[in-house]
Amino acid sequence: MKKLSGLSRTQPARAFRVHLVVKVLRLCDILWMAVTVVIVDDHPSFRSSARTLLELEGFEIVGEAEDGASALEVAAALEPELVLLDVALPDTNGFEVAARLAGGPSKVILTSSREQRDLGRRVRSSGALGFVSKDRLTGQALTALLEKVP
Amino acid sequence: MNRLLAFVLVIAGAALGAGAYHAQINALNRPHAAAQVAVGWAYLVAGLVAWDRRPANRMGRLMVLTGLALLARQLRYGDNAFLFTVCFILGDVGYALVGHSALAYPSGRVKDRAERALVIAGYMTVLAFPLLAALFYGGTSPLLYFGRLSRNSLINVTDDGHAVELLQKTEEVVFFGILASLFILLVVRRFWLATPRMRRILAPLALAAVAFGLRAITECVFTFVDRPFAADYLFWWQFVAVFALPIALVAGLLRARLARAGVGELVVELEHAQPRELRGALARTLGDPALEVVFWLPERETYADAGGNPVDLADDGARAVTYLDHEGEPLAAIVHDPSLLEEPKLVRAAGAAARLALENAQLQAETSAQLAEVKESRVRIVAAADRERKRIERDLHDGAQQRLAALALQLRIAQRRLDSQHADPAVEALLESAVLELQAANEELRELVRGVYPAILCEEGLAAALESLALRNPFPIELDVLEGRLPPRVEATAYFVTSEGLANVTKHAQASKASVCIARLNGLLAVEISDDGVGGAERLENSGLSGLADRVEALGGTLQVESPAGHGTRLVAEIPCES
Repeated sequence: MKKLSGLSRTQPARAFRVHLVVKVLRLCDILWMAVTVVIVDDHPSFRSSARTLLELEGFEIVGEAEDGASALEVAAALEPELVLLDVALPDTNGFEVAARLAGGPSKVILTSSREQRDLGRRVRSSGALGFVSKDRLTGQALTALLEKVP
Repeated sequence: MNRLLAFVLVIAGAALGAGAYHAQINALNRPHAAAQVAVGWAYLVAGLVAWDRRPANRMGRLMVLTGLALLARQLRYGDNAFLFTVCFILGDVGYALVGHSALAYPSGRVKDRAERALVIAGYMTVLAFPLLAALFYGGTSPLLYFGRLSRNSLINVTDDGHAVELLQKTEEVVFFGILASLFILLVVRRFWLATPRMRRILAPLALAAVAFGLRAITECVFTFVDRPFAADYLFWWQFVAVFALPIALVAGLLRARLARAGVGELVVELEHAQPRELRGALARTLGDPALEVVFWLPERETYADAGGNPVDLADDGARAVTYLDHEGEPLAAIVHDPSLLEEPKLVRAAGAAARLALENAQLQAETSAQLAEVKESRVRIVAAADRERKRIERDLHDGAQQRLAALALQLRIAQRRLDSQHADPAVEALLESAVLELQAANEELRELVRGVYPAILCEEGLAAALESLALRNPFPIELDVLEGRLPPRVEATAYFVTSEGLANVTKHAQASKASVCIARLNGLLAVEISDDGVGGAERLENSGLSGLADRVEALGGTLQVESPAGHGTRLVAEIPCES
């Protein structure tokens, strides 16, 4: 009985400590201006290369997803500031996912090994913030797109 | 037909006619008497002609018998008691025979069950009632149609005027009333159910038969009602109807012979005829406007129409088929009205007469079939080329382009790692130039892929693909392209025509602007590319567009260039595009 009451006292305390750590980390994020990113692509090698490059450039990669359905789940759970979203996904395409994410807390930048003009009108109509082709993907390119928004 | 028999029948007919005329002038006026004889002779002569020309057909014999019976009937008006008795009892058989021969046309046999029942009922009526009347006729009461003439029945048993009147009026009602009505119904029904060609043959007969039947019904009515107008008028109606019947019958029977004479004309007509005129000529000769000719294609072992399209010759009863061979090989088949099956010789004669023309037409059908095959294979080749282009595009995208993108990322990572370690500036410069090289290579690869098959074309359609194309063009392009999706091969053809056309404008035209207009027009997709350049473009065959012209033509379209010197160039493609 005593043990139980002890437990019941310590659990909320531990949860509070975890909460506090998250808050502090968030605060640090905001202070360091590190943008939180979720990378969505079905190629693991691209995800890992993009993670390495973007982390080197001061972004914080909070999650990855390999298809449209898990991208929506991960984005809803983590609420990143940016979703870097490949156009070609195994279960759907990036335009559909971008349209679903539009209006939410996360901004979307589409990416593809093609160029924007080879993809036509859907890049703009999907509600994505912008587009960067994979061979020109850098932190600077993403920052330029993010800062373009009023 | 036996000449002696014909001679005997002619003599008998002449004698009967003379006797009938003589017998009648007591009861009837002379023109009526002469008309009755003429009707009998008309049947006799028509029957003899039919018997002679188509000996196997029973119609001739039936009509001869009808003619003799009609002549013999009139003998009852004579003074002779024996002739009166016999011809009074058997006389009306002539009218039953008239109905019988009309229903037996054209084969000479009454095949339909209802028609046969009617014929039997007719014979029983015209035999039973006069026989009974003759038993009761004693010469005192007047007989129907005999006016005041009194005759002597040899088989009279008792003289009962009421019974005679009752029997005669009953016969009128049954034969001229009920049976004649049924006769009209059956004739109309047969006409109604006939095939189009058979209707044309039956029409005169049906008209005469209905007139004959209606006349009989009026006779029945006037047995009980006073005649409102001169009986003379009714008599001539009857005369025309009964006279027209044998003529219609013999004309129908001899149609085939007349048509066979038409076969001779067919030979002359087809001598200089084009294969496409063959069907019409055969249709006219055989009197079947719906006739079709199909040709045997030995390579495919099937029958096909003049255009080479395979035809299924299922025998559905609505149309009949006559197969024509030449030297043991199938040549063609005529799909015709089933009524022509009664005249197989005629169809074969026409087919034989048309043999040369048929052989020509068969060759043409074969060529058409091969041409259709070639056209189909051209379309398939275009489709296969498109599939191959799409596959190359997808392979390049999934393979080389992805790898180049990954390489670019890795070079960027290397750059960043060097940054943090204060690296050699020479290495940094090398890395930067490597990234730029890589991006240039990737751009060239993209350009190549766009030329092979732009992904946007199959993903978003023609309008979006052309917008993307216009973005890369060095001078402004006015686009007016219909929205919405079209069949892939049409979209691809329109796209390649436009992209090749614009490339030509860039290379040769020195234009400041160009316009592209793509619209749907009467089942065609019209693609027009015009510029304000120097014009005077080379002919299509010599330009880079000739390959595209082949592609457009494979889809059944056309590609044309108008390029007057100094007035710009206009390239127009029209591609069939079912909506």
